[in-house]
Amino acid sequence: MGMEQDILKDFLSEAKENLELLDQQFVELEQDPENAELIKSIFRTIHTIKGTSGFFGFTTLEAIAHFAEDILSKLRDGVIKVTEDIATMLLKAVDYIKAIVASLEQTGKEPTDLVYLDFVVDLRNFAEKVTKGQPATASSKSTPPPKAAAPAPEPKTESQAATPETLAPETPPLEAQAAAVFKPQPEQAATHEPKAPEPPAPSETKQPAAGPPPAAPQMTETHVRVDVQLLDNLMNLAGELVLSRNRLAQLAGYINNPELMAANQHMSLIVTELQEQIMKTRMQPIGNVFNKFPRIVRDLAKNAQKQVQLHIEGAETELDRSIIEVIKDPLTHMVRNSIDHGIEAPEIRVQKDKDPVGTLTMRAYHEGGQVIIEIEDDGAGIDPNKIRRKAVEKGLLTAEQANALSDRDALLLIFQPGFSTAEKVTNISGRGVGMDVVKTNIEKIGGTVELQSTVNMGSVVKIKIPLTLAIIPALIVRCAEERYAIPQVNLVELVHLSPEAVSRDVQLIGNAEFYRLRGQILPLVRLREVLHLPAETGNEESGLEIVVLNSGERQFGLVVDNINDSEEIVVKPLGRHLKHLRCYAGTTLMGDGRAALILDIVGIASMLHLKADEALKKAKAATAVATGEEEKQFLLLFTVAPDEFFAIPLALVNRLDKINIHQLEHVAGKEVVQYRNRSMPIIRLENYLPIAPLPEQDEYNLLVFHVNGRDIACLVSKIEDSINISVNIEEENFKQEGMIGSAIIKDRTTIFLDIYQIINTYDPNFFAKITETESMAAQVLLAEDSNFYRNILTSYLNAAGLNVTAVEDGQKAWELLQNEHFDIVITDIEMPNMTGLELTRKIKEDPATRDLPVIAVTSLSGEEDRKRGIQAGVDDYQPKLDRDLVLRAVERLLKIRLQNAA
Amino acid sequence: MTENLPVQSQTTDVAVASDTTTQFITFYMGKHFFGMPIDLVIEINKNLNITSTPLAPDYVLGVVNLRGHILTAIHLARRIGLDYTPPEGIAFHNIIMGNREEPISLLVERIGDVISVPTADIEPPPDLLAGIDIRYVKNVCKLPGKLLVIMNTDALQSVSNN
Repeated sequence: MGMEQDILKDFLSEAKENLELLDQQFVELEQDPENAELIKSIFRTIHTIKGTSGFFGFTTLEAIAHFAEDILSKLRDGVIKVTEDIATMLLKAVDYIKAIVASLEQTGKEPTDLVYLDFVVDLRNFAEKVTKGQPATASSKSTPPPKAAAPAPEPKTESQAATPETLAPETPPLEAQAAAVFKPQPEQAATHEPKAPEPPAPSETKQPAAGPPPAAPQMTETHVRVDVQLLDNLMNLAGELVLSRNRLAQLAGYINNPELMAANQHMSLIVTELQEQIMKTRMQPIGNVFNKFPRIVRDLAKNAQKQVQLHIEGAETELDRSIIEVIKDPLTHMVRNSIDHGIEAPEIRVQKDKDPVGTLTMRAYHEGGQVIIEIEDDGAGIDPNKIRRKAVEKGLLTAEQANALSDRDALLLIFQPGFSTAEKVTNISGRGVGMDVVKTNIEKIGGTVELQSTVNMGSVVKIKIPLTLAIIPALIVRCAEERYAIPQVNLVELVHLSPEAVSRDVQLIGNAEFYRLRGQILPLVRLREVLHLPAETGNEESGLEIVVLNSGERQFGLVVDNINDSEEIVVKPLGRHLKHLRCYAGTTLMGDGRAALILDIVGIASMLHLKADEALKKAKAATAVATGEEEKQFLLLFTVAPDEFFAIPLALVNRLDKINIHQLEHVAGKEVVQYRNRSMPIIRLENYLPIAPLPEQDEYNLLVFHVNGRDIACLVSKIEDSINISVNIEEENFKQEGMIGSAIIKDRTTIFLDIYQIINTYDPNFFAKITETESMAAQVLLAEDSNFYRNILTSYLNAAGLNVTAVEDGQKAWELLQNEHFDIVITDIEMPNMTGLELTRKIKEDPATRDLPVIAVTSLSGEEDRKRGIQAGVDDYQPKLDRDLVLRAVERLLKIRLQNAA
Repeated sequence: MTENLPVQSQTTDVAVASDTTTQFITFYMGKHFFGMPIDLVIEINKNLNITSTPLAPDYVLGVVNLRGHILTAIHLARRIGLDYTPPEGIAFHNIIMGNREEPISLLVERIGDVISVPTADIEPPPDLLAGIDIRYVKNVCKLPGKLLVIMNTDALQSVSNN
């Protein structure tokens, strides 16, 4: 119904414009009766009115337009010529049409007054005579009365308006009936016609008909076309008015005059209202876009030889004009997808026990200050397995990676560039240049796209977009004396780090900083660096302000000087000299009247190569063998001598730093450097590994490790990169003291260092021995499937003086436990054959091993995993790369075990 | 022909004057004296707060708020390659100019008078003009004691290629 109302509104406003024009054109026509163009134009206008009124079922209006059109068509074809009578009659017809339109506008119905029907009869008779080619005489006969009234059309005098009302009831019902019959079948009317003899009948009926429509309701202008630019200007001025008001409010508060305060408050309300109203002028119903779809759907369905029924819901939902323009293409694309890939051909649907006619629903509604648009079909749905296969075929993922994806994540793959699941490419869709563009376009306006799909049940694409682009909620931050606005849609959380937390949890890798946020490694980006502003001076003591942001699927932390407040900001475009800057999304005005820039978070992320799919690409670029079972981890890559590459897990490194050659000191045969007011021992790797020596440099890089409450550093030449991948380490070629093995990373053979072993070789007393007080070393059983982690764990457990027996899964560990004696078990959770949790359960159920302490280690540190571990009976739960935490747990549990034994 | 009618020209003096002279807004940047046709200037403003725009081209000093419109503020000297050190604590004047869709704010040191120059005195620019990128100069006009450099406003507004 809503849509019909809209069309009616459009029709009425258009009709009114045209009718005004008609008046003018008829007058011109009288002066220039031969003007064919003019006649054609009038004809078109009347024709449109006839067509539309027919569509709505406005019979009287249609009839008047129909007969007027009859006359006009003869004029157009040159059969007859314009006479004063004809012009008068036509003008009168226009008056009646106007009156009906006005009535439609006010009541939504045609006037029921019989006067209108009388006029229809009149007009019909006149038209017939004219078209029969005897215009002069016939019309002159029938027109005298109207002619007398002819000058009247414009001045709608009361007296004349009154007469029809009194006469109307008396008018014979015959006319009414006749008129009613005319409309559908004008032919038939011709037979009635002779019955109503012209001379007498007109005299009776003409009089009321001659008068203008009864008490014609005034036509009111309800719609005005306004230049969009003008609206935008009004918006700007309203915004400025708000600022002026704010300043005035401040002054009023200062002067503190009650009357001034009251006046100001009143004005304040009006200004707010004004701004809201002007905002509304920018809003349009989404129906303006939806309306185009019945046709699109029909054509697409026909092309695809499918039967589709379109349902539109919530067409009246309003959103900003600029957004409506942006979503038009994405919506079309998704509808195409639904029809092309979603809804099945009728035969198949019947086989599947579905209605052969597919249903496509386009739905819009408001929710939480956003507009939600859903496109739902009851088609075949999307099969996650098909997507996985496709991703492997296209080389986007390896088979293992694809299988590791959850169904939900697999569905998200269709938003990757170059992805199409259509079996065959049709002219409608399937070329794989679609969903990624849809996603980018929607994200550009701060929206999100979600996809839900059930095989054979259908799919729903859900788009969430902001109500308006013009006003968005934003966080205001400060950086180098200027304010910047960060759109709230990108905001995840705010973190303030104390200086202690900075030195503990922020790691410097080359130029990049990372912060460990609840176990996740979060890359940090300094806004000052992004904007090439000078670094902040003397503010390090106050810690860091981190704005955690989400750009697509990747999170990063933006370091700013200060965090102000959240505000609703008005978005204004950037000038053309600044448009090319990817880090800004626009400008806005602050409360004090100054301009501020809006940061484009996606733009900043892409400037920093943090794009959402970066991790995926990197995994592909690195030819390291992805095994799927190995968890991904951040590795630090560095060199000691050029072209000899080393890797170490980033989690083991506490800090990276640079030192000058002159800072190196030699004390008692050891190299040290002053670091944070303490002497920190320095390890030169070439002294412990068969590698090329570190060349003399002015400046060295330091990898600082913090173990056992002490700092120790390795001196290296260059930090190459940090990379987040999963690697499979080969142990064969480089298995020796201080090395875990090697792997190919970025086309280069890279050696993985065993840093604990190196430190232990450097100083066997560096690590406190856990079992120093005991007569013999404790026996540790380690179950870990990844040889990489197995080696690291073995290494630091050995360095701590423990005897480690390592196996690669729970099954082997369990077998070993049957025959050998161990003091403690350390197990990974995810392992083939028997998981760590299964192993723990077995140990805890068997009376022989029940007292054996079990520590679960994992690279995940989610609360969920922890719970599962505790349910299974583990005694402790630690992140595997945190040496100190693991060792502390071992020590504690061994102590308890000893006490129990004693 | 007109030389033959010296007397009659008296009566049309006013009209002719407006035909044959052009009005310029003049302004200074350092010792240089510039002008642009008055009809290209929307308004002149002092002391608009400039918000700096990091990473912008160096000739863009920032953005300013002109009654709700945010305009790009262009530093005249940097734009035209003029070697110029602003005096201590200077507050630039803003010449709001250009097309009405997207005007720019041209930052200049000092605003001069509005002057009328006989159209006949306006000359094409020389090939070289001390320290000024000639692309931004449309014409010059020799005035008593100084040279009026008439700006190419299109070039000033356009996004330069370099």
